[in-house]
Amino acid sequence: MKKIVTTLCIAATLSVGLSAKNWVINQKGKTFIPSKLTVHVGDTITFENSDPFAHNAYTDDEANEFDVGMQPTGKETHMKVKSKESFNVECAIHPNMLLEVTVQ
Amino acid sequence: MNKFTGILSVLLALSFNTYASDDLAEGKRLYTETCVSCHGISGETNADMHLIVKPRRLKDSILSSNQMAKIISKGGHAYGAHSDIMPAFNYVYEKKQIENIAEYVSQTFNTKRDAKVKKLLSKSDAKKLDAKKMHKIGKKIFKRNCSLCHGLKGDGKSIYVEESKNNKEFLFPYDLRKTIMDEDQIFLIVKYGAHYWGADKEDMPSWKKKYDDTKLRSVAHFVKTKIVGTD
Repeated sequence: MKKIVTTLCIAATLSVGLSAKNWVINQKGKTFIPSKLTVHVGDTITFENSDPFAHNAYTDDEANEFDVGMQPTGKETHMKVKSKESFNVECAIHPNMLLEVTVQ
Repeated sequence: MNKFTGILSVLLALSFNTYASDDLAEGKRLYTETCVSCHGISGETNADMHLIVKPRRLKDSILSSNQMAKIISKGGHAYGAHSDIMPAFNYVYEKKQIENIAEYVSQTFNTKRDAKVKKLLSKSDAKKLDAKKMHKIGKKIFKRNCSLCHGLKGDGKSIYVEESKNNKEFLFPYDLRKTIMDEDQIFLIVKYGAHYWGADKEDMPSWKKKYDDTKLRSVAHFVKTKIVGTD
């Protein structure tokens, strides 16, 4: 019985791992593109920067808190969705940038 | 006696509100001779002047004529601008001549400035907080947002500047330690952004969607009391 449960747990973990997606958000023209995203817990969001200046994506949402720090042109950064609470991502330098992330 | 006092009051009021027409005429002459090539004939900037940093639209400036006179005298760099593209004219003109230019600009192009500043300040719904609380809020926001461009010391040196200086359109942030503006003006620049007040671009953006007036007022208080004058 114990063996079956363990196997099931491993299978479940693997299936979550396999189904986790990577979503790409580009920062261009001081805008997150796309500006809305629906994700699942375990997914990763990759932030690209196509602007000729730096950005600093972050969220103050406690459950999914992250701050990629200063992100120069051409560099990628990643964050993992840890909680099923939806959150907003902003840029600490450009106050009109907003990405709405819905976690399902 | 009452009539006499009345006439005296009117004369006094007139003497405070008017600037000698000869001085204004000289201001106009010097402006046309020197400033017009960058700032344009009506203070809207000269569209034919292809400079890396476009000159301010003087008609939208937040600065008083006294503050303008200081900048004309010592140049923009002395008051926090990254470059000396707005040069110092105290080597060229006398103090009074510089005051005349500033007064001409204020009375001819920037005529709505006082009313605009007054109206926007009266629209502010910032709550009155004690200095300690303002300092705490202002410092947190300064560190989270402002310091990324202006640096933790407000000196205009930051990682963002380092990462962005190869961008040809990048404008270097002001050295806030040297700013000539008072707390109200800093609040209005932070709230509405520099473009609204005559800068060519929105490099210093408007923060009014992100923070409420109480928070923006706290930032202005923090900058004025803890950053300005620390150089």
